[in-house]
Amino acid sequence: MFNRRSVLISLSIALAMILAASGAAGPAAPAADAPAAAPAAPAAEKVTLRVLIHQNPPMVEFMNTFNEQFQAKYPEITVDMAIVNASELSTVTQTRLTANDIDVIDMFGFSNQAQPYMQNVAAPNWQTLIDAGLLMDITEQPFIKNYDQAAITDAGTYNGKVYQVNLGRVSYSGIYYNKDLFTANNVAVPTTWSELVAACATFKAAGVECMTAGGKDGWPIFVGAYGLIGASYPNQAQLVEGLWTGSTKWNDAKALDMWSKMQIYARDMMEPGASGIAGDAAPGRFASGAVAMFPGGTWYASAIEAAEPGFAWGYIPFPGSDNAEENKFLFGKYDQGWAIAGKSPNQDAAVKYLTEFSEPANYQAFANAVGFIPTQPGATLDSPIGAEVAPYLENFRVGYEQYWVAPKGAGEYANPFASYFKPFGTYEDVQTLADKVQADLQSGLDASK
Amino acid sequence: MNNYHFGRGRARLAPYLLLLPGFLFYVVIMLGPAIATGAYSFTDASGIQGTTVNWIGLENYREFLFMGQASLDNYAALWRTLIFAFSVTSIQFTLGLILAMLVNQRLKGVNVFRTIFFMPVILGAVIQGLIWSLFLYPLGGPLASLLGVFGVRSEFLGGQPSEAIAWVIFVQIWANLGVTMMIFIAGLQTIPEDLYEGARMDGANAWQMFRNVTWPLLTPSVNTNLLLNIIGSLQAWQLFLVLLGYRNGTQVLGYLIFAQGFGQTSGSVTSAFRQGYAASASIVLFCLVLVIGLPVQYYLQRREKRVLG
Repeated sequence: MFNRRSVLISLSIALAMILAASGAAGPAAPAADAPAAAPAAPAAEKVTLRVLIHQNPPMVEFMNTFNEQFQAKYPEITVDMAIVNASELSTVTQTRLTANDIDVIDMFGFSNQAQPYMQNVAAPNWQTLIDAGLLMDITEQPFIKNYDQAAITDAGTYNGKVYQVNLGRVSYSGIYYNKDLFTANNVAVPTTWSELVAACATFKAAGVECMTAGGKDGWPIFVGAYGLIGASYPNQAQLVEGLWTGSTKWNDAKALDMWSKMQIYARDMMEPGASGIAGDAAPGRFASGAVAMFPGGTWYASAIEAAEPGFAWGYIPFPGSDNAEENKFLFGKYDQGWAIAGKSPNQDAAVKYLTEFSEPANYQAFANAVGFIPTQPGATLDSPIGAEVAPYLENFRVGYEQYWVAPKGAGEYANPFASYFKPFGTYEDVQTLADKVQADLQSGLDASK
Repeated sequence: MNNYHFGRGRARLAPYLLLLPGFLFYVVIMLGPAIATGAYSFTDASGIQGTTVNWIGLENYREFLFMGQASLDNYAALWRTLIFAFSVTSIQFTLGLILAMLVNQRLKGVNVFRTIFFMPVILGAVIQGLIWSLFLYPLGGPLASLLGVFGVRSEFLGGQPSEAIAWVIFVQIWANLGVTMMIFIAGLQTIPEDLYEGARMDGANAWQMFRNVTWPLLTPSVNTNLLLNIIGSLQAWQLFLVLLGYRNGTQVLGYLIFAQGFGQTSGSVTSAFRQGYAASASIVLFCLVLVIGLPVQYYLQRREKRVLG
């Protein structure tokens, strides 16, 4: 009695499950077919534009306002903006581009690429994305002309074609300081390393922590000390080439001086517990008045203002040298930029989005919001941070991070990071750490020969 | 007498047809990707759709195992993985057994404790990480405040790598202890009460009852728990990501694979996607799980046969 019925039931169940499984994947199919069809769609057709940005509170706030303005102008376009942590941006970009699930992307590090003297290095991810056809060639888009040619060339061009508009340069080698605390403790704004050390000692004696950073994210601790690299190596393109060719060592006399200062920075200047502060919480910690200084990039300025309106702060280059003249340089890099997904079904809408964003008035508002040093010729940095960095803009230099690509085989300590020192890392002895960093780098250089 | 309920002839196909969806699912979701990972490990695949994939033979393995200091760092990660797995397995197994025996008593409110001990299991790794990040916040978090009373300070998750790993071990055990406990409870409940009564009548004390009744009859649960704990802890990586991120001296193999595959290494803003290389690291991890898991499984099965017949 089971025979026929059981076979029929089995077949029905198996068929139903297979159909259900294939049905679950069903909705993806039109999306995969869409790229060819969508660009030809009528202008009035409803479009959802998927935008990916990284977490940076002032930028998120600006983008929310901008999106509303954009949607009012283009009612047929709805912006669906996703926000991820900076450390996860490349992963999410990769997966969403591969899944053809994104239209406009915020990208970092576009200007970094292997130099001719570098061997045996992995291609940066943006280059891989372009080679795979996942970023749109925007060379002929009119909005490109709104930006500095130098920025387009240095941080947007690959093999003669433009794939990204860079949105600004940032300085990461400065220190924010609390004006009221400096006045109350009768401390002058430091212009040399010795003055900085003395200032921290004064604050500590008064029961005020000297510096803070968003150490939970890892990088803010060592990026906060990049000014110390700048003080020892003003020409950082030359530094990177020297490290690769062997003419500069991380354990020579000059480097040892830098490491000694980094140890003081990590051990004595940074407040205990800084490793637990999230990157986007650090500006608030500084603005609360709990610490006197906050080494960090210009991008933090808006968050400081938002955390405590009316808070009196200033911004100075990190005084890493005992020669005040050598401390008048700001080091930095090209920061984020916009790119369009190469296989996006919504490229027309994406181009409209970037065109609107690149309008001088909108770009100016963006630069003011995030504190970027503008990459549009007519734009100015009309904000408190703009006023603070203005005296140093002539002395702006591209920093180490912009040039550095590690050789394969190099150890995990092959970088000039202050966070290797206790309490954030394991090292207590300057010479031991310097030797370890050089050995880790040398190991990669030897392997690449 | 025919015990085969589906009949004869074509009807005999019925169980296979019923198995087919599950089998296809297994092939597509488990077996296929596993084989693909093996194949990928011999290529320079970036994991990005549309890029050229070149066959590079054993180059990824050469780099992972023999190229410069980075390969020594990989061995350090491998050693760290073993320490992590040993610590988690031994502590979680022991605590799970003790808790199971405690909450297997016929006492009032015992179900409440079972629920409390099992609750962390239902939270995802992100929530688990968030809870402990807050608890271990070094600037006035609960534990920092408590230690502060005794004049002790610590950066907890952001300080010394050895301390950071110890906290991940703790959270990993906290997060998974409930599963171990439940498996032991299930095992304990299969042991007939009259065996204990007999033992008591023979004058056995608590330790003798545990050693001669509970422990042998718990063998299936012991085996299951040991294997699950060993394999689970060897493959662990999510809590390392959530609690520590990419920090020198803290990576285990599982996290190293994720970081390499998705460009999450530190030291340069120029991250690169290296899924071919990550695949080779996955195969190394697979071999490690195999080398440890198979002998353990063999030993446990033999022991089960010996004890239970």
